[in-house]
Amino acid sequence: MSKKIITVVLFLMANMAVFAQKVVRHDLYVRDTVVNYAGKAKRAIAVNGQIPMPTLTFTQGDTAEIVVHNELDESTSLHWHGVFLPNKEDGVPHLTQEPIKPKSTYTYRFPIIQHGTHWYHSHSGLQEQIGMYGSFVMKKRLDDTTFRKGIDDLPTVPIILSEWTNYNPDNIQRMLHTANDWSAIKKGATQSYVEAIKEGKFKTKVTNEWKRQLAMDVSDVYYDKVLMNGAHSTDLEVVDGRSLKAGDKVRLRISNGGASSYFWLRYAGGKITVVANDGNDVEPVEVDRLLISVSETYDVVVTIPNENTAYEFMATTEDRTQSASYFIGHGIKQLISPLPRLKYFEGMKMMNDMMKMNGDLNDMGMKMSLNQMDMNVVMYPEITGDGKKKVDQDMDHKGMNHGEMKQKEDPGRYNANALADIVTLNYAMLESPHSTALPKDAPVRDLKFVLTGNMNRYVWSMDNKILSETDKIPVKKGEVLRITLYNNSMMRHPIHLHGFDFRVLNGKGAKAPLKNVLDIMPMETDTIEFLANEEGDWFFHCHILYHMMAGMNRVFAVGDYQNPYLPDKAKAYKALQRESNMIHFMAQNDFATNGNDGQAMFQNARWQLGTEWRLGYNAMHGYEVETHLGTFIGKMQWFMPFVGFDYRYRKMGSDEHEKNIFGQTNKKDSRKALSLGFMYTLPMLVNFQAEVYHDGIVRLQLMREDIPISRRVRGDFMVNSDLEYMAGLNYVLTKNMAFRTHYDSDMGFGVGLSLNY
Amino acid sequence: MKSNSIIGMAIMILLSNVNSYAQIKHAQTSTMKVFGNTASEQMIEKAGSGGRLAKVDWNGDTKMATITYDATKTSADEVLKRIALAGFDSEKFLAPDDAYAKLAKESQYVRTLKPVSEHQHHEHETHSTTNNSSEHGTQLALVTSRYFVVKDALVKDDAKTSAASAQKLLDAIQAVDMNKLSSAEHTVWMKVMNNLRKDAADMTKAKDIAGQRLSFASLSNNIYALVKVAKLETQVYYQHCPMFNDGKGGHWLSKENGVKNPFFGAKMLSCGSTVETIN
Repeated sequence: MSKKIITVVLFLMANMAVFAQKVVRHDLYVRDTVVNYAGKAKRAIAVNGQIPMPTLTFTQGDTAEIVVHNELDESTSLHWHGVFLPNKEDGVPHLTQEPIKPKSTYTYRFPIIQHGTHWYHSHSGLQEQIGMYGSFVMKKRLDDTTFRKGIDDLPTVPIILSEWTNYNPDNIQRMLHTANDWSAIKKGATQSYVEAIKEGKFKTKVTNEWKRQLAMDVSDVYYDKVLMNGAHSTDLEVVDGRSLKAGDKVRLRISNGGASSYFWLRYAGGKITVVANDGNDVEPVEVDRLLISVSETYDVVVTIPNENTAYEFMATTEDRTQSASYFIGHGIKQLISPLPRLKYFEGMKMMNDMMKMNGDLNDMGMKMSLNQMDMNVVMYPEITGDGKKKVDQDMDHKGMNHGEMKQKEDPGRYNANALADIVTLNYAMLESPHSTALPKDAPVRDLKFVLTGNMNRYVWSMDNKILSETDKIPVKKGEVLRITLYNNSMMRHPIHLHGFDFRVLNGKGAKAPLKNVLDIMPMETDTIEFLANEEGDWFFHCHILYHMMAGMNRVFAVGDYQNPYLPDKAKAYKALQRESNMIHFMAQNDFATNGNDGQAMFQNARWQLGTEWRLGYNAMHGYEVETHLGTFIGKMQWFMPFVGFDYRYRKMGSDEHEKNIFGQTNKKDSRKALSLGFMYTLPMLVNFQAEVYHDGIVRLQLMREDIPISRRVRGDFMVNSDLEYMAGLNYVLTKNMAFRTHYDSDMGFGVGLSLNY
Repeated sequence: MKSNSIIGMAIMILLSNVNSYAQIKHAQTSTMKVFGNTASEQMIEKAGSGGRLAKVDWNGDTKMATITYDATKTSADEVLKRIALAGFDSEKFLAPDDAYAKLAKESQYVRTLKPVSEHQHHEHETHSTTNNSSEHGTQLALVTSRYFVVKDALVKDDAKTSAASAQKLLDAIQAVDMNKLSSAEHTVWMKVMNNLRKDAADMTKAKDIAGQRLSFASLSNNIYALVKVAKLETQVYYQHCPMFNDGKGGHWLSKENGVKNPFFGAKMLSCGSTVETIN
């Protein structure tokens, strides 16, 4: 008996010695600050006085204890991106904890049970955009069986990428929902009619508008600066106290902490060797460049080829407007050429070809997946040549059995690696060094999500439902979830799963790579799977911050998890749903010589309450206010039934009366009317509005706003069955101001200044 | 009179100053070495100015650039960076290789600052010494590796390069020492040798790329026979395009499994398929 006890005690002690848990504590002080990254002093959030937040480093086996001192005037939270932990430590306010209240302290504590490059960020509102991101590195133990000599023992530098905008991110979000194209003007990506004609792409532009598309870019937000570890340019001459020399290899642990930017990574000193992705080792693969999606991490190894030279490692935004660099090594700086400008109209043409009239995408049987076929290559001059030289495609093939046809359908025309000498990483090239197979006896449940959304109202969803329209998805603990994702929207989405790594079924069999973020391009279908063996409410969402805030989220509720921090889970979930379907306000008024025209609007993902007014300067010209409350139907949100209320006053002459084309007349100077009607977006983005008033009077109206005539000139017109008409031109001066001239059938000709909020 | 002339001179000095710095406020000047040749002057000065941000005056003899810039808006480094991105090395920055390569022939100066990569240097040497090698495989390996250069040029629709590389291929073919081939290689070599010479020579003489491609199709068939017996270190893929030559079809060899069609180049880059993998 006593012998047994001694053995047990000995065993316990031995265990304790091996797994002696080291508690690694970090204190994080979150404070408001003012920064100047791009010529203007702006508000930001700094942690321990720095942006990005400090790099937190642990070794597998440690216990992390992170104390957050929230000194802000608003609540905050910290999410440990890609880290396995108990659900209550996951850091999603209203889902795994209450928000950390202003002027309070909160402690996260969890064991470190994995290794790899990860990062952490605020999961509250848009705080991630203004500084709350940082690297989170978990080192392998030296005795780890997966320790890779020549990789895991290299000098290592954590790098976190981010963007900076001088605009308040709340404003950016509002502007996105009102289809304000100021970002496009700043980027030179308006894709207006004049620009189209100059490039001989008039037909492409018309087709695009016929298909009810706004000009599209690879990203939606204009940034003033991009940063690597908070700087635009950094000289890396010394790592771990050792000066770098020729032949040295350096491992960069790169996380994309950008809120909405993808970055191209390129190196002036030769190939980039990818050794890990999302914190998981992969078989080393050599590439010339890779695109890091929002919130992904990549570990890459670069070599310094020569003495006395520092080689540029550059991160360029996907829209190619901004970049940041590290110069690795000592001495003269070897530059890398900037990426050439995108051929936007080629992209527009490609999109036209892919889009059906109903807004669905048609992949023409190409079965796209894993970023292998990149439709965007049509826009990349470095792959498909610069736009000026036209490749004569069908000259040699006239009359050939399958000449032109074959070329048109050839999926190879989107395969970047077949088209060019340079190798671009895609997910099919990633392979885990060890088996990642899931237990065979676990029950498998198949789920399918279609990624949906539209640009016009900036609503992003899954299966055309935003978070506030869905319940949590119940999952049995121990179940394997096999999720098929199809992107039927026209933007790419980096889909992130909290709490687990999933296998990406990419043709590598048992060695499928493990990830926690998967970028899915338009028309791609990808399948992921994971074993749901950790209880709790796990967020599953698009990691583009503005898509997440628009509602592109789901929650997997694994098991029946009791969260000590959230006694009332149902109420908390309601709060989470509310935060991802916020009401946005916009207003606009034209102060013109012939009167005031304007509108104001409250809207969320589905509803819109709007008021339009036309106020003349005298009773002859009249005063008119129309108010509509409507809801948008369908994925593309082209259809909106509404109820309305109109009020107008107009002093008419003795024999004057208003008569519409249906012969209905209205003689009153003052008219109040309730109405029922609908608005429908026709091809060419013309809004057709039909309404019938309580007195039986019918009104039909056609209207088009924001016709992109040239880079800064926008046209608009309106005509209705009351024989009223209007046409105008705007010259966009700033984000909130335009010079406007218009002619109105009631009020005549006017010029003025149009302000919008 | 005297005071007048002094005032006049002062005004003139002021005026000349105003003239030279009219566009640039808070002007600061630094002098830096920028590498280029006599044909580069305009390009260097234009690239450095970046519109109106700075003024660059480059002296072709001393290679010194006098940079005048608005210190509140830009820096000498930024000016030098723009010059480097246009293809010209300086003390601070080396131009990207592609930017240098884009320079017109007469502007391609000698890049004294650019370190010669030991790795590249090494590869180059092994190539040039292959002819003296006593190993069996390498003679034919040189022939096939030069064949791939020709193929790549055709993929890129580059008739000039393909003619030049066909000449190099021809040199390699001429240099093969039959005594050093294995007996199996020897047998095949005897069969294909004359055709190889003829096709390679035809390619160097062809008027246009269409003519080169016809010779290349025949050349490929003989190279195929050769690689079937030669012991190469890497896998080679035998690929087929059904549409070449008015639907008669054509074959070629490639080091990659991915199809890049040398018969059509950019017009139909990925038309075709791998029909055989040769180890």
